[in-house]
Amino acid sequence: MIQSLANWILSFDILAGLGNPIAWGLSLFIVSALIFVFVAVNAIVLVYIERKVSAFMQVRLGPMRVGKFGSLQTVADALKLLQKEDIIPRSADKILFLIGPWVILVASVVTFAAIPFSDTLLAADMSIGLFYVVSISSIVVLGIVMAGWASNNKWSLYGAMRSAAQIISYEIPVGITLIAVVAVVGSLNLQTIVQAQGGTGNLFYWIPLPLPNWFIFHSPFLFLAAFIYLIGATAEINRTPFDIPESESELVAGFMTEFSGLRWALFFLSEYANATLVAFLVAIIFLGGWQSPFSNYAGAQIGFSILTLLAVMWTLFVKAKTQRLSFYPLGLSLMITIAAWLFPGFAIWLASPGLFWMLIKVGSVIFLLMWFRWTFPRLRVDQLMYVSWKVILPISLFNLMGVAVWMWLTGEIHF
Amino acid sequence: MSRLHAEEMVLNMGPQHPSTHGVLRLKLRTDGEIVSHIEPVIGYLHRSFEKHAENLEYQMVTPFCGRCDYLAAMGSEHGYAMAVEKMMGIELPERVEYLRVIFAELQRIASHLVAVGTFGLDVGAITPFIYCFRERELILDLFEMASGARLLYNYIWIGGLAHDVPPGFVEKTYEFLDNFETRVAEYNQILTGNKIFIERAADIGVMTPEVAINYGVTGPSLRASGVNIDLRRTQPYSIYDRFEFDVPLGEGTQGTIGDSWDRYYVRVREMEESARIIRQALDQLPVEGDVKSAIPRRIRPPKGEIYFRSENARGELGYYIVSNGKNVPLRVKMRSPAFSNLSVINEIGQGFMISDVIAILGSLDIVLGEIDR
Amino acid sequence: MTEQEIYAKLASHFGAKVMAFVEEETLNPTVIVEAEGITDVCNYLKDTEVLQFDSLMNLAGHDPDGESDLSVIYHLYSTQLDHYITLKVFVVREHGQVGSVANIYRTADWHEREAYDLYGITFDGHPDLKRILLEEDWEGHPLKKDYVAAEFYRGMRIEKVK
Repeated sequence: MIQSLANWILSFDILAGLGNPIAWGLSLFIVSALIFVFVAVNAIVLVYIERKVSAFMQVRLGPMRVGKFGSLQTVADALKLLQKEDIIPRSADKILFLIGPWVILVASVVTFAAIPFSDTLLAADMSIGLFYVVSISSIVVLGIVMAGWASNNKWSLYGAMRSAAQIISYEIPVGITLIAVVAVVGSLNLQTIVQAQGGTGNLFYWIPLPLPNWFIFHSPFLFLAAFIYLIGATAEINRTPFDIPESESELVAGFMTEFSGLRWALFFLSEYANATLVAFLVAIIFLGGWQSPFSNYAGAQIGFSILTLLAVMWTLFVKAKTQRLSFYPLGLSLMITIAAWLFPGFAIWLASPGLFWMLIKVGSVIFLLMWFRWTFPRLRVDQLMYVSWKVILPISLFNLMGVAVWMWLTGEIHF
Repeated sequence: MSRLHAEEMVLNMGPQHPSTHGVLRLKLRTDGEIVSHIEPVIGYLHRSFEKHAENLEYQMVTPFCGRCDYLAAMGSEHGYAMAVEKMMGIELPERVEYLRVIFAELQRIASHLVAVGTFGLDVGAITPFIYCFRERELILDLFEMASGARLLYNYIWIGGLAHDVPPGFVEKTYEFLDNFETRVAEYNQILTGNKIFIERAADIGVMTPEVAINYGVTGPSLRASGVNIDLRRTQPYSIYDRFEFDVPLGEGTQGTIGDSWDRYYVRVREMEESARIIRQALDQLPVEGDVKSAIPRRIRPPKGEIYFRSENARGELGYYIVSNGKNVPLRVKMRSPAFSNLSVINEIGQGFMISDVIAILGSLDIVLGEIDR
Repeated sequence: MTEQEIYAKLASHFGAKVMAFVEEETLNPTVIVEAEGITDVCNYLKDTEVLQFDSLMNLAGHDPDGESDLSVIYHLYSTQLDHYITLKVFVVREHGQVGSVANIYRTADWHEREAYDLYGITFDGHPDLKRILLEEDWEGHPLKKDYVAAEFYRGMRIEKVK
């Protein structure tokens, strides 16, 4: 994307004199800025969505005052945080305290360079994209330990130590799970991984149920791997039920206890950047990335018709269970279905790959993460380790072998 | 391999901490995450209840009682009123007794809702807390209807009630009960049966019956250890002998008898039993009766002393009152249940992790206003 | 067992240490015990087969008028046999000493600290006798009837109650 942007800049007569290196540098700057803006705006939007989702789950309204339906609430909160005094405790290790939050933020922002948003929207097309993302995102733990240690506060120290132990232990099963996918594709390039998931095929190769060729439907092993990855990744980004490093009811705010103002906002920024990153990875690796679930426009029409039927059943189920009528899912799917049948152009658009599908998938995964957060209690630190080393790690190792056997059975590889 | 040796660290949990249920300070001696000694430091909320009581007339003490256990103010007032009435030998109209039981049990539900919700909060589940508060709001609405206040009522007076309940109160209470009985299933769905919740609460902070009795632990925390002592049943006061209800005991369903999960679940079941009592009381509530008819003109209990105990939401609430025949008590001592319940934490919390100490503290359901008085 | 029977049993076992039995002017019949003997009496009450007082419900200090002796009141209950007894000991006003029952009933640990805090009664043999509700450096014992609050506490003026 950077090179094409540079070429585009050079295509203007006035700017042609800049020469390739300067144009390239300029576009590098523009792309970096775009990514940062994306992360910042994304955090503001996600905080708002998180508050609304939690309100929805807790039978309340959430923010309603600032802007229509409280939509400007997080903007106001961000402005408030920016104005707050940046307090540095007297006994803190000043240098580490100052750079800790930035390390976390940088580590979580730069990973987006390798994320393909659509078939063309991609900052850096790396052949080792997946490896890059996984390795850079683990630098976050360094920042957390820095921040926790530098605060010179026992709660912060506990948070940092817990976080280090947690992130490092969960990286192993997560890595092995990802290797299973890499083994299927034969490439670490995220774009290649997405491209390998186009079209429609049978569920688990043999079951005659036409579903998109996403890796989650590739084999029972990858199906399981998707969930293992989701669990492990939830732990890696410190979200409930694995939020023990900042566990509010125990460690006050964990490694963030002593931070205030802008520096505190940075933690939030990176927390949501990380959540988004995980959602992107789940979408790219298991849910076909920017691929459409439908292979042609007839598929889109039929697919949404089935979805409408499911929505009818859901509505009836909810009515039977709670005596309350909720038409939102039904109404939405019915509208799309009618539109898809009436306007073939719309159906074709639905069937074509693009940013839209990517965002839908990412949004769904993020919603799932929020759902976890507002439903589950928190694990204890030893239980967390137990889950990692004694449950998830063996399963993911078994999965890796299973995938190999499966590919041999289906004839994708030969020995 | 010989055990790695490390220094112990003293961790100051509180007085400002999200999970100490008020201004409590716990001095923890920790070895890594493992807690080897817990020393509660209390007194941050001391408001000299007993000193106040010695300088006020009997009827003026009532509002101070509610301020001690602010989550179960009706129960505190009820206990105090009954103690003074017993000293003076006052016979109450039927309607007063029934209304008092209704309010005391509603208060028990409200208090247990906070206990259950905050326990969920302590182990990291945020949503059940809001669910619990949703129902608690409805109870507070009922209290507001009757007394005009939502937290501290001064409604139960010595010899009667401040006012009769307004028209429509009984219907609204029935409505609340119909609603509430279906909600308990919701708490069980979202919290009680949750695997993570069970892992966090079961086998944590096991309190044996001997330890519980020796430390003077009372109320749901004692019954969770399998000791069948509920003053409403073993030593019926007011008109509790007229109602049918079960006394839920800890059964060790998910772990050992007397663990945090049992203490939590006993409260959940007690709420259902309280709802049963309220329903019976509403059914039997006499329509006629002046709630103020038995209020004495002059409250001057005869010379003497009494120790009167009643079952409040947190356990045995005792009032030791000494009268010298004047209108000001010579001594009012409140034996607060949470005071004794908290003192056991060092005994049952040793050897657990920091997170578990929080869970144990939450399962004991303390109110600092009552501990410090 | 009734309180009368319990008193008879105590009196026959301890003799002069158990001083009197009061039924008038109280709704909880009370046994008056000598201050030094309270530990032995409680031990006996707890361990004897027919008494089994395993629960100390309440322990309260009391100052009747600001001149005569202070007293400590013990409300005991047996969860096994479902009977009650109230014990009372008298202590001199200044530096009064009572045997501690904190090692018999753990409930007494904090309750004795409270009585020490508010009445200045010292409990011999208490594992960790220090103030509990008030600050360590508070002056005086506020529930004594002759208590006069100090002028200042750590430089803060203490307001006088009229």
